[in-house]
Amino acid sequence: MSADRETNQTMTDRDIALLLADAADEVEIGIAPYQAVIRGGRRRRARRWALATATALVIVGTSGGLALAGLRGGDGGEVTPAVTQRATQPSTPEERHVYTPQQTTLAAGIEQGETWYVTVDVWGAPRTEAEAAAQLRSMSSHHEEPWDRDNSSALVGKITYFVQRAVGTGEPELLMGDSVSPQDTMAGTDLKSGASTLDPKKTEGPQRLVVGQVAKTAQEVTCTWKDGSSTVARRVEAGADINSDEAAIRPAAGSLDNWFVCVGAAGTAYESAEVTK
Amino acid sequence: MGDRKEARETRDDAFQSFVIGRWPRLMRTAFLLTGEQHAAEDLVQSTLEQTFVAWRKVGSADDPEAYVRRVMINAHARKHRRRLKEFLAPKDDSGLVREVADTGDRIAQAEDRSALLQALAQLPPRQREAVVLRYWEDLTETQTAQAMGCSVGAVKSNAAKGIAKLRAIPGLAEMVTHGGRK
Repeated sequence: MSADRETNQTMTDRDIALLLADAADEVEIGIAPYQAVIRGGRRRRARRWALATATALVIVGTSGGLALAGLRGGDGGEVTPAVTQRATQPSTPEERHVYTPQQTTLAAGIEQGETWYVTVDVWGAPRTEAEAAAQLRSMSSHHEEPWDRDNSSALVGKITYFVQRAVGTGEPELLMGDSVSPQDTMAGTDLKSGASTLDPKKTEGPQRLVVGQVAKTAQEVTCTWKDGSSTVARRVEAGADINSDEAAIRPAAGSLDNWFVCVGAAGTAYESAEVTK
Repeated sequence: MGDRKEARETRDDAFQSFVIGRWPRLMRTAFLLTGEQHAAEDLVQSTLEQTFVAWRKVGSADDPEAYVRRVMINAHARKHRRRLKEFLAPKDDSGLVREVADTGDRIAQAEDRSALLQALAQLPPRQREAVVLRYWEDLTETQTAQAMGCSVGAVKSNAAKGIAKLRAIPGLAEMVTHGGRK
């Protein structure tokens, strides 16, 4: 190697290039770890997709997300296991919302004079590769794309969701997304959340918008902000009014978990979120 | 779906060829940047993982090498700067220039390639990056500036300072005379 493209070089520069080449030969080259690169790359792509523009993704809980056994709800009642619920699902892909997602508005508000919405689209689990391939095409027409966008078979048996935020008349922006097995429902105090800015012009702005998933049994989530204040989201029924003054935990059509949204006051930012009841 | 699958397979093949073909050179560059075998492997693997994520775009670009260099330099600046200092820096925490241009002990150390590596490792990261890209990767100042995400002026300045410090290694001239030691 020599750096002789530029005219102004002394012999010493050229010699240093030779010495660098000589020193570079010290390294053991080995075999390119192609498979490890692919695995690592897929993990990176999955992480990037799952987070999208939301940052500070937090996953809390010890159950591993499995809720197959009968669980005690917060009120002491028996919670119906996910598997039992699945058995009663309709059979055609259309009825299972494989090709058209079910959309639920999780929260809305006004920021700097513009209305914002947070919605979640839940796509039903395809049962075959053909259904999955058709679902992928349908997702594409909705401008939604799972992380393994080249591999429709990865969608088989999984519910896929996309959480988006729209401000004013702007295009919806992906906050979070994932493809999960119906058995991987949340339980107890499990919580998965992402924090994002509310300012559509600044992706690096203070993270005042917190969106997350909790178990169906969770009755209360407390979001704590950096200034020490906190916001409590309480569980409401499906279809309950969206009230920008009140944080809420609500069900989303097609989702086996409930969803919450907290908004911090101007000037503060996300610190933590946990199921408190 | 057949077309989609075929396109994916073509992309995968192209990426595999890219990884296998570029691995040796990337390893050498990473070694000069990090000064350590395992750190170099980590840096190259991390760089290629990021390249994989963007491969659909990068693979069809005119100059995928430029993207990979940029990723590697960014990753190096972010991850390996502190680690390298801890790994190779002399225990004495005095100034880097004085370390390189010091006394007779340095002459003895400069008798083999590790002296150059050590001197390289003692350069501030931006100087080291500029020297490696200009004198090992053989990039022009403009290409180096693109890879480092800075101006051509900054490249000139960093490369000149870095080279001046390497020249100050007392045994360097002798190494040059003997064409390096094998």
